Amino acid sequence: MTGIASRQGDTQALSPAPGPPRAGRADAWSRRGPRRKARRVFRPRRTIPGVLVAAVLAAAGILGAIQAVSAALDRPLWKLPHRDFAGPLQHTHWNDTATLAVAAAVAFIGLVLVLAGLIPGRPRAIPLASGDESVVTGVPRRSLRRSLARLAEDVEGIDRARAKARMRSVKERATTRLRDTAGLREDVHSAVQDRLAALDPLWLPRVKVRLRRKAGG
Amino acid sequence: MTRHTARISRAGLILIGLILLAGGGTALARGLDAFPAVLGRAGAALLSHAQTRYPAGHAWVWPAAAAAAAVIALLALWWLAAQTRANTVRRLSLEPDRTHGVTVLPADAATGVITDELESYPGIQRASATLQGSPAAPRLQLSVTVEDHADPAILRTRIEAEALAHLRTALELDTIPTVLRIRFSPAHHRHLA
Repeated sequence: MTGIASRQGDTQALSPAPGPPRAGRADAWSRRGPRRKARRVFRPRRTIPGVLVAAVLAAAGILGAIQAVSAALDRPLWKLPHRDFAGPLQHTHWNDTATLAVAAAVAFIGLVLVLAGLIPGRPRAIPLASGDESVVTGVPRRSLRRSLARLAEDVEGIDRARAKARMRSVKERATTRLRDTAGLREDVHSAVQDRLAALDPLWLPRVKVRLRRKAGG
Repeated sequence: MTRHTARISRAGLILIGLILLAGGGTALARGLDAFPAVLGRAGAALLSHAQTRYPAGHAWVWPAAAAAAAVIALLALWWLAAQTRANTVRRLSLEPDRTHGVTVLPADAATGVITDELESYPGIQRASATLQGSPAAPRLQLSVTVEDHADPAILRTRIEAEALAHLRTALELDTIPTVLRIRFSPAHHRHLA
C-alpha cells in the first residue's frame, strides 16, 4: 500500500485507509463487491423452465395417483385396465431401439435441466455503477440494444443499424447508402462509445462497428 | 421475482435433472450391456412375468404407489407456487417499536409517491415501483423509462440522492435494497407518458 501511495504522490499518501474516499461512481467501478452483486441480481432466474418442469411433474403426479388409486380399488377409470400397462413392458427389451431412444432422451433432458440450473447464464441487464451501495442499477439488454441502434441511426449518413449488447462487448452493424463512407464507421463508434461511457457500466464493453454499404444511394 | 425464487427454480431444476439423468443413464447402460453383472442382461424384458404379477399378490403396492404419486404431486405444486409467488408487500409497518402502537401504510401509497416524483424529473417518461419481501424490511424494484438523450449520470444521481432518500425518510428506514432498471425510449414518445 505504501509503495503505491508514494508513487501516486504525497496527497494520496496522506490517506491511511486502503481505497481513498473518492466519488461513489468512480469507486464502484474498481470494487469487486458491486460487480458480483450486480451479476447475481441480473442473472437469469430460470423461472420459465422451472415452472414448466414443476407443472409437468405435478400433472404426472396427479395422474399417477389417480391411476394407482383406481388400480387399488380395482375400478379402472380409463378404458385401459391397469394390468394391460404391464403387457407391452413384458414384450419390450432393454436393448430395443425404442427403449434406448427413450432412455437417451430422458438422460438428455436431465442433462439440459442440470445445466440450466448450474450455468449462470447471460445477465438480463448490463450493470451500471451506482453511488449507493444498496442500489443495484442496470439497463435491460434489449433496451440497450435498441437504444444503441437508434443512436447509430441518428448519425448522419446511417440508414439502419442493429446492435448486440453483452457485458463485455457491444457490436453495432450499420448500413449506409453513402458512396463515400470515410469516417462514418468512426463516427458511429465514437457515438456508441460516448453513450456507453456516459452510462458508466461496471464493465466497460468493447465497441465494434461493422459498416455495410447498400447500393442505390 | 426475486433472488430467492431464482434459487428455488435452479435447485429444483438441478434435482429433477439429476434424477432424470441417473434414470436415463442407467437404462441406457443396461440397454447397451455396459455392466451386465450389476444391471442385468440387455436382452431381458423391461418387466418379467413375476414382476407384473407382484401387485396382484401384494395389497399394499397400489396404495403405496398412490401415496408416492400424491407426495410427488404436492411437492411439484409447492415448487410451482414458490416460483410464481410475486412476494409483493401490500402493507408496510412504520412503527418498529410495537409498544407505541403500529402504523400501517399501504405499499401502493409509498410506491405511488416515488413514481410520481420520478416521473416529474425531466427526461423520465415512466416509472414503476414494487416493494417486495417483509413489511418491516422491504426491498424495492424500481423501473424507469428514460428518453434516449437524457443524461444518465444526472438522472441516476437524482434518483439515488433525492427520490430514494425521500422514500427512505418517508418509510423511516435506514436502507432499502433497490434494484433499478433503466430503459431507454425515443424522445418523441413523450406524449404517451
